[in-house]
Amino acid sequence: MADYNDTYWQNISSGKLCLQYCPTCDKYIYYPRSLCPHCLQANWEWKELTGKGQVHSYTIVHVSALPDFQNETPYIYALIELAEGVRMPSNLIDCPLDEVRVGLPVELAFIERNGKTLPVFKPRQE
Amino acid sequence: MFQPVHTSIVGIGELKPSLDAGGKSSLDLMAEAAALAILDAGLQKSDVDGLLVTPPSEDSYFLWPSQVAEYLQLSPVFMNMVELGGASAAATIARAALMVDAGICKNCLCLSGGIWDKQVFNTLEGKMAVMSQAEIDYELPYGPMGFNSGYALIARRHMHEYGTTPEQLAKIAVDQRINAMANPEALFKTAITISDVLASPLVVDPLHLLEIVRPCSGASAVIVSRFSPDLNKKHDPVVIRGFGEAYTHNSIAYAPSLTESPIKMASQRAFQMSGVETKDIDLVSLYDCYTITVLISLEDIGFCRKGEGGKFVEHTDLTYNGSLPCNTHGGQLSCGQTSFAGGMSHVTEAVRQLRGEAGVRQVKKNRLALVNGNGGVMSTQCCLILGRA
Repeated sequence: MADYNDTYWQNISSGKLCLQYCPTCDKYIYYPRSLCPHCLQANWEWKELTGKGQVHSYTIVHVSALPDFQNETPYIYALIELAEGVRMPSNLIDCPLDEVRVGLPVELAFIERNGKTLPVFKPRQE
Repeated sequence: MFQPVHTSIVGIGELKPSLDAGGKSSLDLMAEAAALAILDAGLQKSDVDGLLVTPPSEDSYFLWPSQVAEYLQLSPVFMNMVELGGASAAATIARAALMVDAGICKNCLCLSGGIWDKQVFNTLEGKMAVMSQAEIDYELPYGPMGFNSGYALIARRHMHEYGTTPEQLAKIAVDQRINAMANPEALFKTAITISDVLASPLVVDPLHLLEIVRPCSGASAVIVSRFSPDLNKKHDPVVIRGFGEAYTHNSIAYAPSLTESPIKMASQRAFQMSGVETKDIDLVSLYDCYTITVLISLEDIGFCRKGEGGKFVEHTDLTYNGSLPCNTHGGQLSCGQTSFAGGMSHVTEAVRQLRGEAGVRQVKKNRLALVNGNGGVMSTQCCLILGRA
């Protein structure tokens, strides 16, 4: 696995969501990669995120062909707009299905799935 | 500079979509469609000197154009595979027009087909086969349901921004089913109502089963040649007036907007090349993997304002009898999605309509058709403007 992938997941397993940040472009980069996709330079540095964001859109998955998820339905697959200006696909947890909505404020949480720590999101009280 | 109207579609061939290919391969089906198109064009196989193929569904991609040419015993002066997902088929037509207009080849065969195998398609491996490494690493751990969840995110966001309703989306499936009922080749020909669509299982909320394509097996072929009024004695000529393409993202997670697609730029480029406008279009063939795809396409092409697609489809008859005939063959939603050839069915149906050969579902005004091919999750767009000579 490339170093940037390793670093991302190592940070996650120690409870931190860090993304590459390019000071030249003043932009965060998601998903991790070798070069900043805006300037194509490797001047980026890792920065920890606030973990705050909101639901940009979501779907409630009722039918899944994925073995890990067939017993999890219905579950919320969501696109999270992070406070730092990038969008990240994730799950919304601890949220009743009738309370999920576009614009819902969320905050970072972690779950274990298949022996791997994953960053997910849960509703945030404002 | 590409010269619109210098190139034309002279032959089409298409197999009836099926849920069981009877043990045949993609190559078998593609060869059958190719034979039909050559016959339809009044050409000999030896006249075909260009070959553009879309990817296979289950065979090895390796040297795919070469595999196809060997099966058909063609020795073209030019060949290539076009891989733009669902936009691949429409994009073969644009590329064939360029090659023919440039004089590189005279008769270019655009060929598409595939076998649908449920055992492969609906498995983890099947889902991973159509994902990028970034999607496998950073999306798959959260359980996206292939393309379904991507289009569901778009539909939900559109509902939030513009108040679009499930009933409005369902109307698209209902109108296309009416079209399919007039098409003997369609896979699904039972009448459905808006209530039926909304009563079908919610697969990925807000999308219901009857708003989602059914993958199946089939093949479709189109021959593009230099235009000449007496080229084909059997059919009215159909010219390629122009095309436009646009690309902004692969995964919808990183699209500039969920509700405004690159179809807007692709169609503007196609209109500019062909010198016509939205209001000049008589009928449309819009890539319809989901109902929401059609609604976004109608908005982005300019048939209504952004956000008003829901009201537009509610009040517009999209059937072959209507004011804006859309997917008159039934679309992929009712005809079936024959792998990559599903996108070619939009081209062949537009050609049938422009020739005046669409039978009971023939539209009255048939001067100008717009075809759109869409791949990924509104990721790749190829818009074609086809017209009567």
